Amino acid sequence: MANEAISLKGHKDGYEIVLRSAAKFSDIEQELKQLLDHLYKDNSKFDADQVDFKIQTGNWLLSADEKKKIEDIFANYPLFSIHRIKADVILKDDAAAIIEKNMIHANADIIRNGQIKTIDGDVLFMGTVHEGGILQATGNVYLLGKAEGIVSAGFPDNNSAVIVGDVTHAQQVRIADLVTIFDDEVQPDESKPVVFVNDLHKLAYLRMDELKKLRPKIYAKFGGF
Amino acid sequence: MGKSIVITSGKGGVGKTTTSANLGTALALMDKKVCLIDLDIGLRNLDVVLGLDNRIIYDIVDVAQGRAKLHQALIKDKRFDDKLFLLPAAQNTDKSALEPEEVKKIVEELRPDFDYILLDCPAGIEQGFMNAVAGADQAIVVSTPEISSVRDADRVVGLLEQKDLKEAPMLIINRIKKHMVNDGDMMDVDEITRHLSIKLLGIVFDDEDVISSSNKGEPVVLNEKSAAGQGYRNIARRLEGETVPLMSLKEQKKKGLFEKVTEWFKRK
Repeated sequence: MANEAISLKGHKDGYEIVLRSAAKFSDIEQELKQLLDHLYKDNSKFDADQVDFKIQTGNWLLSADEKKKIEDIFANYPLFSIHRIKADVILKDDAAAIIEKNMIHANADIIRNGQIKTIDGDVLFMGTVHEGGILQATGNVYLLGKAEGIVSAGFPDNNSAVIVGDVTHAQQVRIADLVTIFDDEVQPDESKPVVFVNDLHKLAYLRMDELKKLRPKIYAKFGGF
Repeated sequence: MGKSIVITSGKGGVGKTTTSANLGTALALMDKKVCLIDLDIGLRNLDVVLGLDNRIIYDIVDVAQGRAKLHQALIKDKRFDDKLFLLPAAQNTDKSALEPEEVKKIVEELRPDFDYILLDCPAGIEQGFMNAVAGADQAIVVSTPEISSVRDADRVVGLLEQKDLKEAPMLIINRIKKHMVNDGDMMDVDEITRHLSIKLLGIVFDDEDVISSSNKGEPVVLNEKSAAGQGYRNIARRLEGETVPLMSLKEQKKKGLFEKVTEWFKRK
C-alpha cells in the first residue's frame, strides 16, 4: 500500500492520523473507515478506554464540509474521538489578521467630534484627537500627536495594553474596561507619560524609563538594545 | 458650469441663512448668476430674509414631486436683474419629503444656467443635512466663536470629510464681537481655525445692522457702511479667487475732546 491515503502514527503523547493531501477525499473516507473498523475490533491494543486522535492534514486546509464528514465517521466509534485537526498552513486572511494585530500602525488622521477611529493592533498616532473624538486601539497607543478627546488602548479587554505619550489635554484615558476622566480634580502628571493597568486593576502612571521594566516585550518589538 | 456650495453648521442659530442670503447677494452684485436653494423644509426663512416671501407659488418639494417645473418655482429677485434666484423650501411637509437623489437632480438641472448654486442647510445632521450635502461640490461651515458652535462645526466637518465632496470644506466665523475678543472673553479666530484645521474663508463681525436689514428683507451686504456687509463682500471676492486680507480686529476708539485737541497740536 504505497499510495495509501492515510497513515496512523503513534507518538509519546498519543496517536496521529496523517491525511495525505494529494489523495482523493473519497479514498481518505474509505480508508479511515477501514482503519477505525480494524482498530475498533482490536481494541485490546489500547490500555485506555477512550482514545484521542490528532489529525494532521499537512499543506491542506479541510473545508467545513470535509471536517464534518470526518467527524461523522468518528461518531460511529464511541471509544474514539478527535483531539484536534491540524494543518501546517492557514488562510491568507487569517495570516493578514495576525500580522495586522502584531504591527504598529502609523496614523495621522484628525479624529473629530463624534468620530471613533478603531485600530487593530498598536498605533503610533501622529494626528489630532479633537474633543469628543475617540482613538481606540486593540493594542498599545503611542501618542505623538495631540489628544484633546478620548484615548483608549487595549479595547475592549486587553489589560496589558499601555498608553504612552502626552495625555495632559485629553478628556479621558481608557485601558480595557477602566476609565479615568480628567477634570479639575484629576489631572495627568506630565512627568509620567505611561498609563497602564496596575496589579490592583486600576489605571496608574509611570515615568518613561520605567516602561522597560513594566513591558519589556514592547522594546523587543521595536528592536534595539 | 456652476459650482454648488452647501452652507452648513450643525448648530442652529449661528447664521446659515443670513450667510446664504448675503453671500448670494454679494456674488450677484459681482455680476455672477446665483441660485439660492432653501432646504430648511418646514421652517423656511431664506425667502423672508431676502424679502421674497410674498412671491412664492411653488416650492422645492413641488418640483421634486413633479407638481411644478423647476423654472416655475424659481423666484427672481428683481433688485438684481436676472442675477439672483431663489428656490424656496416647502412649509407644509417635513424634511423626509425630499430625498438626496432629488436634490442632486435639481442641482444638476440648475448647473448649466448658474455660476453659483448655494444650498442653505437646515440645522442638525439628519435627513435635511444629508439632502443638502448630496447636491454640493463644496461646503462652507459657519461657526460662531462659542464652544458649542465650534464643537458642532467639528462634528459636521467630520461628516463632510466622510462624504468626499469635490473640495475640502471652508470656514466662516460669524458674529465676532471685537471687544470681547480683544478682552480675551471670546475664542479668537486663529484658535478656532487651528482647532477645526480647515481653511478660513472669512470672518463676519457682529453687527446690529444684520438684524435690522434682515427684518426689512434687505441683505446687509447692500449696506455699504456695515462691517458685517463688508465681511460678506470680502468672502464673495475670496470665493471668486481674489486675495483679500482679513478684516482687522482692532477697535477704533472714539476720540474724546482732550485727545482731539492734543492731536490738533501734534499736527503742527
